[in-house]
Amino acid sequence: MRNLFAFIYRFRAFLVFVLLEALCIFLIVRYNTYQGAAFFNSASTYVGRVLEFQSGITEYFNLATVNTTLADENARLRQEVMQYKLAGITDSVARMDTTLLVTTDSAKVIPYKLHAGKVINNSVRRNNNYLTLSIGSANGVQPGMGVIASNGVVGRVKTVSENYATVTSLLHSQLLISAKIKRNNTFGTIKWQGGNYRTAILDYIPLHVQLTKGDTVVTSGYNTVFPEGIMIGTINSVSKEPDKSFYTIDVKLAVDFAQLAYVYVVENTLKAERDTLEQTSGILPNE
Amino acid sequence: MNSVFGIRHIVQFVLFIALQILLFDSLVLFGTGFCFIYISFLLFLPIHINKVLLLFLGFVAGFTVDIFYDTMGIHAAASVLLAFMRPHILNLLTPRDGYETSDSANLHKMGWNWFLTYSLLLIAIHHTAVFMLEIFGFDWRILLNLLLSTMFTGVVVVILQLLFFSVKRASR
Repeated sequence: MRNLFAFIYRFRAFLVFVLLEALCIFLIVRYNTYQGAAFFNSASTYVGRVLEFQSGITEYFNLATVNTTLADENARLRQEVMQYKLAGITDSVARMDTTLLVTTDSAKVIPYKLHAGKVINNSVRRNNNYLTLSIGSANGVQPGMGVIASNGVVGRVKTVSENYATVTSLLHSQLLISAKIKRNNTFGTIKWQGGNYRTAILDYIPLHVQLTKGDTVVTSGYNTVFPEGIMIGTINSVSKEPDKSFYTIDVKLAVDFAQLAYVYVVENTLKAERDTLEQTSGILPNE
Repeated sequence: MNSVFGIRHIVQFVLFIALQILLFDSLVLFGTGFCFIYISFLLFLPIHINKVLLLFLGFVAGFTVDIFYDTMGIHAAASVLLAFMRPHILNLLTPRDGYETSDSANLHKMGWNWFLTYSLLLIAIHHTAVFMLEIFGFDWRILLNLLLSTMFTGVVVVILQLLFFSVKRASR
């Protein structure tokens, strides 16, 4: 027995090393998926405060870019509102006899709510990138919700604390987003394979589809995460590989992830209903 | 000998981790060269520090960075590996008449040759671990990452030594 203790004591450094490494590997395997809650992450209150302090200093440096983006978005939204207003003026449906027309309930048409949040931590150059936002469960953010910027898809909420949320960026090797080509509604999957943060791959587009460079790729709306038709990017190049039955398509992402300042978390108010329906009927949701 | 792990090292710990998170997180050379400066906390510890304590310090330093980087366990694993390899590298590089008890891993005290071999070896070990764990395998692309990052971190470590570890303090 004493020999055993002597042995353990002699190799204590090595044993502690092996134990700590085993713990680390466990942490890596358990918590480095694109979803799933880790107890320690950048959404925790203290870490969030430090990151907020940091972004409080650095945000002044790209205020000009942020302002232009917001002004652009405002202009676009104002234009859209104007169109609706004009349509409302010229439209005489409201004055029609209700016996002839069933009015649609406008509350049910758009089940999506947007929560604006500031990006306080961001990375684009690692193999798996994450963002931290300064909104959390107190503002209605829940894990699994989609995140979009004014010009396109950003990612999915990973974990949430009261005032902060971490987001799995589209620039993550395990995040797949259901997408379609806007022109002909062919749907595929967007994934990022590391390297350049301005391009991603669109996979599972069959070879019979006609494609042209510059085609717009948008979200498909086949799941409850993103609304249909949110911009993802434009087709950059298309190539056929001899042993594959799908195209290899390079997509130029619409969002410049290095410039992100404000994003919107998408809340789908009908998510629970649709997910339970799809699950009880035995269909796995298309992520 | 009794103040082997003193207030100085706690200050260094906070300082280097803060540098890593606040500054070097957004400082990337050509999109491939990263600087993990927080490991200089482990590099600058006294030569005769307890091996087991060193391992735990490595874990704590790596884990703190992991929390901010959202890379659960990757930096912790790499730092523990560095902490484990440090005594072995130190053994390899022992000067002809051994280390003195007051020796620390200091550029002015141990000389350029010794310090560069010591730090570059350990930095390379740490960075290899980080990049390989990040993609959980091996890819030829990470060789470029590795080369640039090791040089980047190495240069910053030397700059830190030249700036903040003066010749006077080393001879004390």
